[in-house]
Amino acid sequence: MQNLSFKVQRYDPDKDSSPHMQEFTVPFTKGMSVLDGLLYIKENLDNTLAFRSSCRMGICGSCGMLINRFPMLACHTPVEELETDKIEVKSLPNYPIIKDLVPQLDLLFEKHQSVKPYMIREDSENLERPEAGLYQSVEELDSFMQFSYCIKCGMCMAACPTVATDSLFLGPQPLAQGYRYCADSRDEADKERFDIVDTPHGIWLCHMAGACSEACPKGLDPAFAIQLFKRMMASQSLGIRKRPKAAPEIQPPKEIKPMIEVPEFTVQ
Amino acid sequence: MKETRLKILQYVSGIALFVIAGGHMLYSHFSNSDITSWSSIADRAASNWWLVFYVLLLIFGLYHGLHGLRTIILEYFSISDSSVKVLDYIFVIAGLAILGYGTYIPVEAL
Repeated sequence: MQNLSFKVQRYDPDKDSSPHMQEFTVPFTKGMSVLDGLLYIKENLDNTLAFRSSCRMGICGSCGMLINRFPMLACHTPVEELETDKIEVKSLPNYPIIKDLVPQLDLLFEKHQSVKPYMIREDSENLERPEAGLYQSVEELDSFMQFSYCIKCGMCMAACPTVATDSLFLGPQPLAQGYRYCADSRDEADKERFDIVDTPHGIWLCHMAGACSEACPKGLDPAFAIQLFKRMMASQSLGIRKRPKAAPEIQPPKEIKPMIEVPEFTVQ
Repeated sequence: MKETRLKILQYVSGIALFVIAGGHMLYSHFSNSDITSWSSIADRAASNWWLVFYVLLLIFGLYHGLHGLRTIILEYFSISDSSVKVLDYIFVIAGLAILGYGTYIPVEAL
């Protein structure tokens, strides 16, 4: 590969009636990512190109784009992995476009906020001014651990066919996060969240297409979380759910014994 | 949890349909008698057992179909929660009307 052909979606709502594609030629360098290509365009070819990026290492979730018809993080997508020298980059589907490759993510954050993605306990006093810890076993932690790695990039929402047809559908990200907190033994607001997702455009509209799990750049499985959430709600509705006991408070240890022998400091 | 209950019923009606409609298909295709003949139909129409069997098929089929249609409408037209209530009333009235019409004829024929 000598040169790459970057077909980039351009759209300025103040000037354009609809998005159009613009082609750029970018020199290939070994190990370059799609984001590197876009940065090259911005620095050398057209500084009006708009896109979001920040960490460049797949942590912040800012650079989500539709790359060769698949939602991916531009920084996390090596050009060589695409196995073609023709790269088409568009703004994420299922979101309005602010400019070029910058999607409007407000709806994602509003929906995420609606499922109350934070710890809620009946003894809110201890949550506000904690004086003791909350005990959680390894098994209890494992039940929701993978869903804690969500970086809110919105890739799952862009891939979801139900979000594409029904803009009111909550979507995989908020539903998976709703499950994450309901499955957390330290939380006690599961019934509150059940009412939030048990709406005509809520959890039961998920068709289990699985596109969200395929698109997640962090390797999470939101479709699985939704299925677990459905099981939790169905068993609650049938009155056969055994809710685990809320995590008990434990006093912080007075003395911490190191698991391995720590050598004495020799330098003062 | 209204939507959860409706969905559970959807699954239950699906399983029931598999059994009842499956039984209907087995009887229709593997019975030795000519089941489309007037006498065979008249025999079944006169039997209480067959009446219950076909009314159950109608009830589960209606619920499964109408709930499925509701899901499609909800998804493709993104209708608001307040409009969903109107839609639900329409489906309940339509379902009861079809059920009434569908059961009245065989009951009357007994």
